[in-house]
Amino acid sequence: MDRPIAYDKLAREDRFIRMRARRVGELRVEQGLPPFPDLASRESIKERVHGIMVGELQAMEGTGRTVYDFPDTPWEFTLDMARQVWDESRHVEIYIRLLEHLDGYVGEFPETTILWRCACAEDAAARVAGVNRGLEGLACDVFNQLIHIARKIGDPVLEHAVDFVLADEITHVRMGSKWLNALTEGDPERRKRAIEFQESIDERFNLGGLRREGDHEEVPISIATEARRLAGFTDEEIARLIKTTQRSPVY
Amino acid sequence: MVQRLAGHFSVEESAKRIRHYRYAEERMMRVMGGWIALTPELGSKLLFGRHVWDCAQHADLWGKRLPELRATAQVSEPPNDAFVRFMDRLESPEEFGRTAERLVGIYRVLKPHLLATYAHHLAHANAVYEPPTRRILVRTIEDERRHVAVGLAILAHHLTDDGARRRAREWEDRLQALLAEAGGVTGEGLSHLALPDIPADAGDVAGDLVELGKPVGRWPLPPDLEAALEAHALNLERGDLAGLTEDLAPEFRADGAGLYRSLLAAGADRHAVVGVAKLGSHRQIKLRLESRQGALVLLSRWAQRDGRWQVVEAEAVRTEPA
Repeated sequence: MDRPIAYDKLAREDRFIRMRARRVGELRVEQGLPPFPDLASRESIKERVHGIMVGELQAMEGTGRTVYDFPDTPWEFTLDMARQVWDESRHVEIYIRLLEHLDGYVGEFPETTILWRCACAEDAAARVAGVNRGLEGLACDVFNQLIHIARKIGDPVLEHAVDFVLADEITHVRMGSKWLNALTEGDPERRKRAIEFQESIDERFNLGGLRREGDHEEVPISIATEARRLAGFTDEEIARLIKTTQRSPVY
Repeated sequence: MVQRLAGHFSVEESAKRIRHYRYAEERMMRVMGGWIALTPELGSKLLFGRHVWDCAQHADLWGKRLPELRATAQVSEPPNDAFVRFMDRLESPEEFGRTAERLVGIYRVLKPHLLATYAHHLAHANAVYEPPTRRILVRTIEDERRHVAVGLAILAHHLTDDGARRRAREWEDRLQALLAEAGGVTGEGLSHLALPDIPADAGDVAGDLVELGKPVGRWPLPPDLEAALEAHALNLERGDLAGLTEDLAPEFRADGAGLYRSLLAAGADRHAVVGVAKLGSHRQIKLRLESRQGALVLLSRWAQRDGRWQVVEAEAVRTEPA
């Protein structure tokens, strides 16, 4: 197998319909819809849950590639990544079942591969910074808000299932912080590049200002400050993220 | 008393054997991790995702046992070059459409072999001074037996016709020959190993744990779109370019004409809807068109124009030879 593989090698069953994220956003806006599904109705919650399900799928695939692509990294790193693969596979199953719970089906909305592209960095430190700290940090934000909405609409199934996934994501961010430090120890240049990669992902996933600091019901995606602290993000990092959300380009 | 202390393996032989086990488990874990992204079927993808972690734990347990046997921790070592060639071959099916070969390699060849080897080792490991090794063997045997059972149940979903079953058998034979040439994971040969015992409730286990490709009886399409789509597919089968042109929204007619002319040139005898996604009020629809030459998957976006559903965008996303 190639190490790494090309972006377009990502394999899907026919029931998945893949599109560029930008194109999906444009077509939604053309129809007078927000570029990213909000959480205002059961249908939009279902669309958000579908987006998370394909995100978890790509996270499993990306972490699986990390296990394969970097055989020379420390064994404990591989072990953590293998554990994460299993976690992500469970998350996929959880979200498939949540989709069914919401009367949805796999493939009901287009899949974008923006997360997968982020998981294809060629350096292990960059990949772990981008995926475990950038994307899993985003997951903390999205899941924290989804739990709040589920509680508000009285859906304990959604609330409890997503809460368990959030607990895993916090663990993955911690793993990311640990391995970003360990893999770049004594190599400040590599560390700088990895952090820049993570920040580029953070910037991209601010989604043109959709992710912001604020109340769950006031903003499309609220930054989960407490969950991020629990995951090991420093106050300085959280403050920097909030600052970047104020200058993100339009989606 | 003397008999209870009789053993088959020296400390050094035990460590060497464990390095071989670790090689197989570690390499299998990495290969399955790499395959996840290359495997389209969700059930198989999730199966690999789950077993990557179990294999990593097996490799870790073996690796931690090594320093207790006066050897370096976490070292993998193949028994010989022939076993490396066997693993290289097992890893090789990476193209789209070769999931069955991947599953055969892991669940009909390598894991049953490891299961048989571990069972043989357990039967011969001394119960007085080798309990640490025995405990790992008990754990790995239990896991491998479960893995094989679920893997075979998932594989059965891929082997739906005689051609697929024949290809799977041929691939298995090739791998078994390479494994025999290597003398198995220990390099000592295969003749002393008994066929492993696999639980009969494999199907239930797989059904409960892994999302298999669920057949969608009827796609949730609005009736008027379903009728428009059916008419469109029939126009494709009949070669009716004028009818097809009418199906295209005015803004897409110029761009779509070339694509539809090429679709008509390829011909289609049968069609099936294989995917439907919502994009606001639009629908993205995947249509599989089959002919004697092969198959083509057409992705089209449908929107309502002047009260009727029309194609506003379309592209051929995949072709498959017959």
